[in-house]
Amino acid sequence: MASAHTQALPRPVLRPRPAFSLRRWTEREGVFSWLMVIPPTLFLAALVGYPFIYGIWLSLENRPVAQAGTFVGLANFITDLHDPVFWQVAQNTFVYTFSATALKMAGGLALALVMNQDFKFKNLIRAVMLLPFIIPTVLSTIAWMWILDPSFSVINWFLIHWGIANPGPSWLGNPSIAMFSLIMVNTWRGLPFYAITLLAGLQTISPELYEAATIDGASTFARFRYITAPLLKPVIFIVTMFSVIFTFSDFQLVYVLTRGGPANATHLFATYAFDVAMSGGQFGLGASIALSMLPPLALLIAGMAWYMRGEKT
Amino acid sequence: MANIIRSASRRDVLKITALGGAGAMLGAQPGRAAGKTLGFMHESSFIQTYDDFFKKTLVPEYQKAAGVTVDYQLISVGSLQTRMATAAETGNGPDITLTFFNWPFLFDEKLVDVSDIAEQIGKANGGWWDSAKEAVIVNGKWKAIPFGNVGQIMNWRTDWFEEVGIKEFPDTWDAFLEAGTKLKKAGHPYGLELGHGFGDNHGWLYPLLWSFGAHEVEPDGKTIVIDSDETARAVDYCRKLFHDAILEDCLGWTDVSNNKAWMSEQISCTNNAESILWFAKKQFPDIGKVTQQSLNPQGPKGRFHILAPWSHAIYSFSPNIQASKDFLVWLNQPKQIEGWYASADSYYAPYMHAYDDAPLWHVEPRNLPYRDSLKTSHLPGWPAPIGRAQAEAVAKYVVVDMFAKACAGKSTKEVIADAKAQLQQIYKA
Repeated sequence: MASAHTQALPRPVLRPRPAFSLRRWTEREGVFSWLMVIPPTLFLAALVGYPFIYGIWLSLENRPVAQAGTFVGLANFITDLHDPVFWQVAQNTFVYTFSATALKMAGGLALALVMNQDFKFKNLIRAVMLLPFIIPTVLSTIAWMWILDPSFSVINWFLIHWGIANPGPSWLGNPSIAMFSLIMVNTWRGLPFYAITLLAGLQTISPELYEAATIDGASTFARFRYITAPLLKPVIFIVTMFSVIFTFSDFQLVYVLTRGGPANATHLFATYAFDVAMSGGQFGLGASIALSMLPPLALLIAGMAWYMRGEKT
Repeated sequence: MANIIRSASRRDVLKITALGGAGAMLGAQPGRAAGKTLGFMHESSFIQTYDDFFKKTLVPEYQKAAGVTVDYQLISVGSLQTRMATAAETGNGPDITLTFFNWPFLFDEKLVDVSDIAEQIGKANGGWWDSAKEAVIVNGKWKAIPFGNVGQIMNWRTDWFEEVGIKEFPDTWDAFLEAGTKLKKAGHPYGLELGHGFGDNHGWLYPLLWSFGAHEVEPDGKTIVIDSDETARAVDYCRKLFHDAILEDCLGWTDVSNNKAWMSEQISCTNNAESILWFAKKQFPDIGKVTQQSLNPQGPKGRFHILAPWSHAIYSFSPNIQASKDFLVWLNQPKQIEGWYASADSYYAPYMHAYDDAPLWHVEPRNLPYRDSLKTSHLPGWPAPIGRAQAEAVAKYVVVDMFAKACAGKSTKEVIADAKAQLQQIYKA
């Protein structure tokens, strides 16, 4: 340091200004960070932003397929508000989302707590647990189609052979049971996501906390209540948010199993919007139905975020 | 100009992906310089020999006859409408496309007026069936060349009907209910779709409505007439039929369900296209032997069937409109078209009178009712004008759900009021 100082001082003006180096320029933090951010931003703008903005634009138009649109303002939304099926679809979507998310949360947490224990073949079982999440939804849903089929149903086989019911229930044909069946299938599919994410959260909790609590005489429940639950909360928040978004906008399950039947009992926003836009050729009206998902979702997420903040202070 | 079209197309491709359902884009088109290659989009047929015949026989023959290669672009079952919409919206895609149902009306502006060749083709083949004209003439112009009808009629098990003492298929809805009541008691219920499929539900519910003398909208396209005593009688009948004769599961069925139930011997009667017999004969010969097909029963105001047309249309953006017309004229010459019809037995009932008694009908006489059903077939929404409002009513399952809700327990008054409210909104009445 000292030698550098003495050598450098006498001739500062003689040193040539370093030529512009692209490499050095890109390594500057201000530049580098922009370089990293711009491609994904462009990517998002093109593939998410543009369709999204275009979707909003469409929803304000009377836009039949293969025809130029005319701006109609909020007319499509007003039409939706007067459409009895729209309200049924809204109700279905909320019932579906809340029930499935609650079940996934409870089941996922239980599964994660079990998986967090030490037992034989732990890793193998953890991997197997992920299967429902890994299999393409359409494939696993077709399997469910057979499970819920009135005469091939394995569930009905047991019900009949154990003398519980004969004939077994019509899992997809009865309007009240059909929604229940779909919630079950969605829960089955989404459970591993919850479980594995919560398991990751559990493993970040320091064992020392549990040890200290145990020494202080805390019961198992108390340890869960005062250590696990509060520390897991941020993870639960994130995973619930994702799950709510995915469940709310679910399409594949319904499309494969019932296509919204019987009599709209299982129609969700996404499937109804698709029917109106594609089969009915009403792009504007379809877009307005799809877009109606946005305000409730935004409110839900804002509400959850607010709740989490409230907890911290 | 070409550049403008191309850049516009790219932008529009993004637009259509925004619609959510149309992610699959059409690939780059092979060079069509001087009309050497024509793109011809078709949905894969349930009858494989039909697609094979086109590719292996008709394509080489046309290559020889006109020096034009036809690129037969097969797409998967159920995705034709999204693909058609993608092409129409982006102005980029095949020259000629297959269309179903009422699509010539939906895509009207994007399709070429083919009235000139339609007359010519009709003349060469003994004239068109009236139902063919109903399917493709939009505001007085032919927007597609009708090809064939994939009709829906009643498919029934002769052995089980005989078990309850019935040799002939019931001719009236009342007799149909009586037979079904016996059959359900004997453990062989009917399997008639009341769910959200795309064909097997409309296939019998619209004819049921019509045959009771009811319909949704008057031919003026404005007056909603669903709220009538005739509708109420049809709904009451359907509810009773459901409880006494139909499998409960039918309320949640989609179009695959009845085929599955048929092959697994769960149901004694369904409403389907003749693919059900075709498949049974191939895969389940024992079931094939006892499968019979008959016209829909008649009601107080007649007998009706659903019109399910397949037709061929030329996109207005095609740079090869004349070449496409020439090809369709050639395709519809008796030699070619009869061969193509015959390659699918009679799955596609020809819309031209020259084939009313063609050999293809005698390969499987059990299919003859499909031909006869053409006399009493109409598109869903009939007799109102076919178009966007009607398409929306079908997409929202207004008629299907009116019946389904009644079967699930709602009162006749309520379900008709629901349907009326929906129709008023759709037709802006």
